[in-house]
Amino acid sequence: MSPSKFKEPRTYQAESDDWQLLPFRFERMDGRVLVTNMVGEHLFLEDAEFERLADKSLPVDSPLVRRLRAKHLIRQPEERTPLSLLALKSRTRNRRLAESTGLHIFVVSLRCEHSCPYCQVSRQSQDRDRYDMSLETAERGLDMAFRSPSAQIKIEFQGGEPLLNFGLIEEVVCEAERRNSRFGKRLGFVIATNLALLSDEILEFCARHDIFISTSLDGPADLHNKNRPRPGRDSWERAVEGIRRVRETLGVDHVSALMTTTRASLDRVREIVDTYLELGLRGIFLRPLSPYGFAIKTKSYSAYEAERWLDFYREGLAYILELNRQGVDMTEYFSSVILKKMLTNTEPGYVDLMSPAGIGIGAIVYNYDGSVYASDEGRMLAEMGDETFRLGHLTTDTYEEIMTSEALLAPLEESFAPSAPMCSDCAFEPFCGSDPVYHYATSGDFLGRKPESDFCRRNMAIFRHLLDLYENDEAARQVFLGWAGR
Amino acid sequence: MTDPRNSLPLDLTFAAQTASVDAIQRAAYRFSDRFSCELIPGEDEHRCMLTAVGDDAVGDHVADFRTEVLDQALRERIRAETEPIRTMILAHAFSKTGVVDPPDPT
Repeated sequence: MSPSKFKEPRTYQAESDDWQLLPFRFERMDGRVLVTNMVGEHLFLEDAEFERLADKSLPVDSPLVRRLRAKHLIRQPEERTPLSLLALKSRTRNRRLAESTGLHIFVVSLRCEHSCPYCQVSRQSQDRDRYDMSLETAERGLDMAFRSPSAQIKIEFQGGEPLLNFGLIEEVVCEAERRNSRFGKRLGFVIATNLALLSDEILEFCARHDIFISTSLDGPADLHNKNRPRPGRDSWERAVEGIRRVRETLGVDHVSALMTTTRASLDRVREIVDTYLELGLRGIFLRPLSPYGFAIKTKSYSAYEAERWLDFYREGLAYILELNRQGVDMTEYFSSVILKKMLTNTEPGYVDLMSPAGIGIGAIVYNYDGSVYASDEGRMLAEMGDETFRLGHLTTDTYEEIMTSEALLAPLEESFAPSAPMCSDCAFEPFCGSDPVYHYATSGDFLGRKPESDFCRRNMAIFRHLLDLYENDEAARQVFLGWAGR
Repeated sequence: MTDPRNSLPLDLTFAAQTASVDAIQRAAYRFSDRFSCELIPGEDEHRCMLTAVGDDAVGDHVADFRTEVLDQALRERIRAETEPIRTMILAHAFSKTGVVDPPDPT
């Protein structure tokens, strides 16, 4: 008789009558207890089950012990595999840290022909000398970008309206490609533009250099044009035409759009999603309004109610899930980022949901005048006269001085979530991040007081909502698994 | 308008055997948008004087606060019990990345 390929069932039985706790955190949630392990894998327990876990009265052969072991929440004494797996997953989740800065934002011009009331930074000016980045400054920016140890360098051109200084974009792209023949990094380019000034020549250049376009689209024409006034009142028409031409020339995947949410958006989320769909855009980022710059000055932030935005988000997500059930492929990107953190061991690298924070070490900004900022929001604060997040200047400071400046290290260290009050024992922390610029702008310190933080309140509400749908709505669960796996 | 009764401090006590000062402080922090907590540690029991900071009466949150203190005491126990293993996992995770100090030869 040939030996069986299968082992006896007892081989898989517990070797010990005992079990031990592994590190975990918990939160009570709607009559149940959410438990997350040290890499964010989660399990819901009934109150009674949780009590038996906490007082260690579960028999080793109970089905719950198997579930807890599968999620690395407990282990048998001397069992090594859960430790190795947790170590491997921890390392995977943190692998971006060793890479350092991958996104380098070049603000090539502060000038813009739009006059959006919530815009923090742009200038209505013809003064090129004063508000455009010079070639010398741009080359120093490239020196910095290529000093980054990251194997992947993405250069994003921002403004103002960057197409107003397109000549510089051409020079930077060509010079970066020339330098990269020596470095061999994965190099990519993005232009963040309102598309109003798009021309055939610009498109041809973008096609030759595989440049991606990120544009702004706030929803239907009346809403978008109200948010984004320009001479001719045709911002939406130009954006839509631009999106069509980019898709045609560069490819459908080479253009994405970001929306800005205003009070006028809050009752119109379905129309906004429909507008994206009609233009062939298969994803939308339901963004809250940022609290920086002119948004504060014009009171548009203080008027913004966090609860109303959450309703807007929930309604939009419900509609997008409904579309997916009908076979329409549509993604809500913020949920998608969070679900990736919840359901996989991949760190998506979204700057606002990283800890340590993504400022400086995830993305860095070279302003038109050579100033270096830890983030785009830090630059916006500087435009209001607060230079807390100014790391130095491309002309006078070295890479080492900028990356080890107190202006970068202090907010990174002080805002680190795993050692922050309330965050350190929060079960949602593995899904969340640190945002020192937001907390500085809203509460005056890098950490913020979490019970009063809208960042914390908003994120917790979203985490709870996504987990609730994932656990209780099978169709939503399937869509979420698809988004997380992308 | 704030109800003047809400601004009266409310006294609570916790047995020192079941709730540490740290657990009470952590719980109080979570409620700091609703009330402030003056904590007077004692050998047998810790006394908390809670004062509302918003429009809600402190009494509305007492039951939740007590539950949170118990949860924090449990978190404290889990932290203490799993701390060595947590450190071991993280050391193992980053042992080959070059960011961990080599062991002291002495």
